[in-house]
Amino acid sequence: MASNSSLEQAIDKILEKTEKKILLDLENANSAAKQTLEDALPKIEQEYDQIISNGKKEADKIEKQITGSSDLEARNKQLTLVEESIDKVFTKALDEIANADRSGDYTNLIKSFMDESTKTLGTTEVLVFTNNKDKDIVQSLISQYPGAEVSSETIECLGGVKVKSKDGAMTFDNTIDAKIERLKPLIRKDIATQFGVVN
Amino acid sequence: MSSEGGVQYSKIAEIKGPLVIVDDVSNAAFDELVEIETGEGERRLGKVLEVGNGKAIVQVFEGTTGLSISGTNAKFVGKVMEMPVSREVLGRVFDGLGRPKDGLPDPIADKFIDINGEPMNPEQRQYPKDFIQTGISVIDGMITLVRGQKLPIFSGSGMSHNLVAAQIARQASVVGTQDDFAVVFAAIGVQYSEAEYFRRSLEESGALKRSVLFLNTADDPAIERIITPRVALTVAEYLAFELGMHVLVILTDMTNYAEALREISAAREEVPGRKGYPGYLYTDLSTIYERAGKLNGRKGSVTQVPILSMPSDDITHPIPDLTGYITEGQVVLGRDLFRQGVYPPVNILMSLSRLMKDGIGEGSTRADHGEVSNQVYDAYSRAQEVRALAGIVGKAGLTEIDLKYMDVGDVFEKEFLSQATDENRTIEETLGILWRIISKLPKNEITKIKDKYVDQYYKEQ
Repeated sequence: MASNSSLEQAIDKILEKTEKKILLDLENANSAAKQTLEDALPKIEQEYDQIISNGKKEADKIEKQITGSSDLEARNKQLTLVEESIDKVFTKALDEIANADRSGDYTNLIKSFMDESTKTLGTTEVLVFTNNKDKDIVQSLISQYPGAEVSSETIECLGGVKVKSKDGAMTFDNTIDAKIERLKPLIRKDIATQFGVVN
Repeated sequence: MSSEGGVQYSKIAEIKGPLVIVDDVSNAAFDELVEIETGEGERRLGKVLEVGNGKAIVQVFEGTTGLSISGTNAKFVGKVMEMPVSREVLGRVFDGLGRPKDGLPDPIADKFIDINGEPMNPEQRQYPKDFIQTGISVIDGMITLVRGQKLPIFSGSGMSHNLVAAQIARQASVVGTQDDFAVVFAAIGVQYSEAEYFRRSLEESGALKRSVLFLNTADDPAIERIITPRVALTVAEYLAFELGMHVLVILTDMTNYAEALREISAAREEVPGRKGYPGYLYTDLSTIYERAGKLNGRKGSVTQVPILSMPSDDITHPIPDLTGYITEGQVVLGRDLFRQGVYPPVNILMSLSRLMKDGIGEGSTRADHGEVSNQVYDAYSRAQEVRALAGIVGKAGLTEIDLKYMDVGDVFEKEFLSQATDENRTIEETLGILWRIISKLPKNEITKIKDKYVDQYYKEQ
């Protein structure tokens, strides 16, 4: 019996010691866990801030993409519409020029075209091309330019003259079409200003 | 633009390479615009290179392929080449000669400006000193770009300079001001896929709205490349000095420009200079690079980032060599870093921004910027030496401090230099990384930074 009781005592002691050790370990583990949690908190906060800031950056980027492309799309549609309107104005203006009255000041206009052309080429020894409508006017003026001739060929144009030196080396296009073509960018701007698109 | 038209001449004496020689010409002027009309009615543009003895030498931008002596006419327009400009050019895509390439009509011009520009009065120039943030750490932190500077990127064939160019174009901004910012991007002789990449990249990032693109692709005539940087700079000058915007001009690839110049020079039978480039290459390049800066009394600025690929990575090649004389520093991309997969592969030891010191510090970036940048430069330089030493004696033969420097080198390349192509870092983030790198060294190794900054930012690791 005595040996049993000392055995029990020994077991109790071991149990007690083990219990204490386990409790201590638990306590240590608990405080280590607490410490880990405490240490992790600023890291988590930092990561949280990083995620939020990255998200904000991404959102800004997407916002810029969306607003940028929609602004451009709207602007491009406006440009296309303005251009269509400019084309319409041009077509109407060209129609009116083509059917304009050839009397009165028109002869003076053709004369100024002829003067300008012969001056630019530096000779009056030229062949003058024009359209059917202006041929008579040119014919009436040709005697003022020594050596100049009116070509029997006619050209397709709204009006004005195309002058070629007799040796064929130089040509000066002084038709209304060519003048309009040269001035087109400025005329486009004027029309667009009328629409209130540019200042 | 005047209503005066030009005289058309039909005596073509000779067609030689990109040049057309017209006979019996009177009253032609140097640089005058010429319209070449083929027998089939096709029109090409050119400009007068030389006049005299009744002859005019015309350089045809679109090339002379398909032209014949008979049936070709040359019309001398009576004015130099002009670019129509207005605010409406923003968000538009043009070809190398400034003609719309986006399917939209010509911009309604506010002005027509001579593409050769007007020289900036040196007395009126203002010293550049305002920071431009590119969002690329290595540039912002160590080779800082300032408004009005010309800072080229020296690259090599096949390297990632186009990615860098597009990233700068997308991300660049001026900090601390509400002034408008714009990017003028000129692609000179790039592949179609690259041109598309630039366009899409700006479009998708929403940056196209504040950009103007000039795209001269590799299949466009080489001679057009002479004009592309000039039309781009004309637009930039208008946006900067007439509309008061801060404009960043990116020109890529200037090597293609110089090659076009060489082609014309060879066709004109001029005495060749180094590597066949004309003797006036320096002067010609300066007419482009010097179109950057700020002017007294004007709000805007033109900043240039020309990109050039060095043939055989040779920095002594005439193009980078002469460019370096004119510009204010250089960003050099390194082949070794590129091979290691580092993006952007900037070799900081060969790179330099001469105006950096004036664009950084208190009031611009941060007071400690210059010092921390110098310290990292020094540490990376030491890391390179240690790496070379380790190659001979092995890592085991290195001292503890050597190993620390080696670590600094690795971290520098992995955390600071390496950056995603869509990663836009603020200057604060960039400086934060620089301090993290420096903090890998013991405090006593930090000799280039004032103690007050060390106390504030150094975190021993």
